Amino acid sequence: MSEENAEEVKQLEAEVKLLQAEIRALQQQRQDSWENFSFQFRGQMQHALAFVCGRTQDLEETVVSRLKEEVEQLEKDLKLQTQMNGISLNSCITKTLQSRGREVVHQVCLSGCSSELVFQVEFQLSELKDGARTERRIRDLNLVLDSSDLQSLSSFLSRVEETRELLLFFRTIRSFSEKCDDRTRTFQHFQEKFPSIVSLPEGCGSEVMTLNHPELPGCGFFIHWCMDVSTGGAVTPKIQLLSKIPEKALQMFPSQPAGGGAAEAFQSLLRILGPKAAMESIIRAVSLSERDELSD
Amino acid sequence: MEGASARGVLSHLSLLEVQARSRGSRVPQQPSRVKELKAKIEALTSQRDQLKAELQLHKKLQKLRAPVDKQQEDGEDEEMDLDSESSELFHLMARHSELMDLLHAHNLIGGYDAITTNRGKGMCFSLATEYEGVYLDTYNLELNLKPNVRISRHNIPPFIPLNSLAEQSDLQSDVRPFLATVSQHLNAFAGRRQQLKLVKEQHKSVEVMESNLLCSILVLMFTVPKEKTALLCTLEYNDHARCLPTRVHLNCEDELLPDSPKWKKNCSLLMEVPVHRALTAIKKASDIV
Repeated sequence: MSEENAEEVKQLEAEVKLLQAEIRALQQQRQDSWENFSFQFRGQMQHALAFVCGRTQDLEETVVSRLKEEVEQLEKDLKLQTQMNGISLNSCITKTLQSRGREVVHQVCLSGCSSELVFQVEFQLSELKDGARTERRIRDLNLVLDSSDLQSLSSFLSRVEETRELLLFFRTIRSFSEKCDDRTRTFQHFQEKFPSIVSLPEGCGSEVMTLNHPELPGCGFFIHWCMDVSTGGAVTPKIQLLSKIPEKALQMFPSQPAGGGAAEAFQSLLRILGPKAAMESIIRAVSLSERDELSD
Repeated sequence: MEGASARGVLSHLSLLEVQARSRGSRVPQQPSRVKELKAKIEALTSQRDQLKAELQLHKKLQKLRAPVDKQQEDGEDEEMDLDSESSELFHLMARHSELMDLLHAHNLIGGYDAITTNRGKGMCFSLATEYEGVYLDTYNLELNLKPNVRISRHNIPPFIPLNSLAEQSDLQSDVRPFLATVSQHLNAFAGRRQQLKLVKEQHKSVEVMESNLLCSILVLMFTVPKEKTALLCTLEYNDHARCLPTRVHLNCEDELLPDSPKWKKNCSLLMEVPVHRALTAIKKASDIV
């Protein structure tokens, strides 16, 4: 009788070893695919998992309604972060590249937009455990931007890809798109207020606002408002006044007015009045309006 | 008389049994070892099935989340089929994990991780800093929103002029420009501090003579090769929102050295490029030891 038992014990022990090996393999598989934040089942997700595996007495409706509540909370949270950060993310795909010892490396692909500026960002994130702290580092940053204004951003973008400054990239595009929005609003405002004088040949998102008096078709002024982006991420609006006056008209004024031409005068106005008031005063001048006062 | 002896035998037997049990007798071992192993197998099987189910669920949720661009693996056996009753649950689970990933992404890109506190009367923000791809310290700032917007608690170092930055921005109508400015100052400070750390690590031949808490002034001593002359270099960072110097000044016993074309070039390099990298270039050109 003890012989039979010894056989059985051997078989069972072998079975145990097989199961343990299988479990180790599955756990490794899970760890490799679940370093993603999202797939650590916690809270209502854990209850939902238990339900799916048939390990709970709860009704499906209960599980669904509780999970729905949690999802609604998360949607609200995402809205808040989107609003405060000025960046709208519409997809985030993470893949674990390496998860050995103290270092975990993820490949992260983000896509989204900041106002009109659409981006796709890909980078490697390395997290190295050093005692109680975790050192996070970006490796290999790749930026793809879709904007009508890529020229002003190009030198900044190549520098920031080199230095891998992900956070600087996002701070800068947020600032850039805010300033572009400001420009769009201002141009639209003037077009609505002075429709006969102001035109936006390339749309309100463009850099140029054209000023013409309807009775002086050959003469025009252009307000060119571009954004200068330094390699350090500082976004500075640069507004200039350009003029197109036919030779014959210029000849009627033998001497230049004191203080230089219109362009220089505009720069002084900018310094004294600020951009919006300066632009308005130029527009009124072009409109040959009888009222000299500036509006508020 | 029979009863007495039966009781005696029974009680003797039970005494033996107790003794046997208390000695952990190995005699009944075989059957209970089998039982033990069988119980273990049951537990392990349950654990393995649980893991398999989780992995299957994970795969399914991944599929639900990326319907368009991910390449679909052909011939995948669906052990959990998508019946219409459970599909709402799976879609909710997929959306849950997607939201968690997006929220994590907001944190990764340096978002403010905004939380409302004190039943909506306040809001707390995290200000992350980074330099050259390395995440550095995160600072926290709490604002009271009612009755009006005021700075409440924070752990921002005192040499960042928080109150004056708050005064310069219109906190009452929008807190975001204020947050952006504070973040800019903190990142510039973290960047300057990190540059100093890298100078100390990478350039042991350069002596750091002076620096301050805000890292807005840095005095370094170089040794010029050949004559081993000492050259004192002062970097002033007067724009606290930037991590490049606004002024570079050289002092040397040899008064002609700072005006040499070589050193004029090095000075402009120090103005345009972070100091640790500028020093690498200057060393490479053998201008300093």
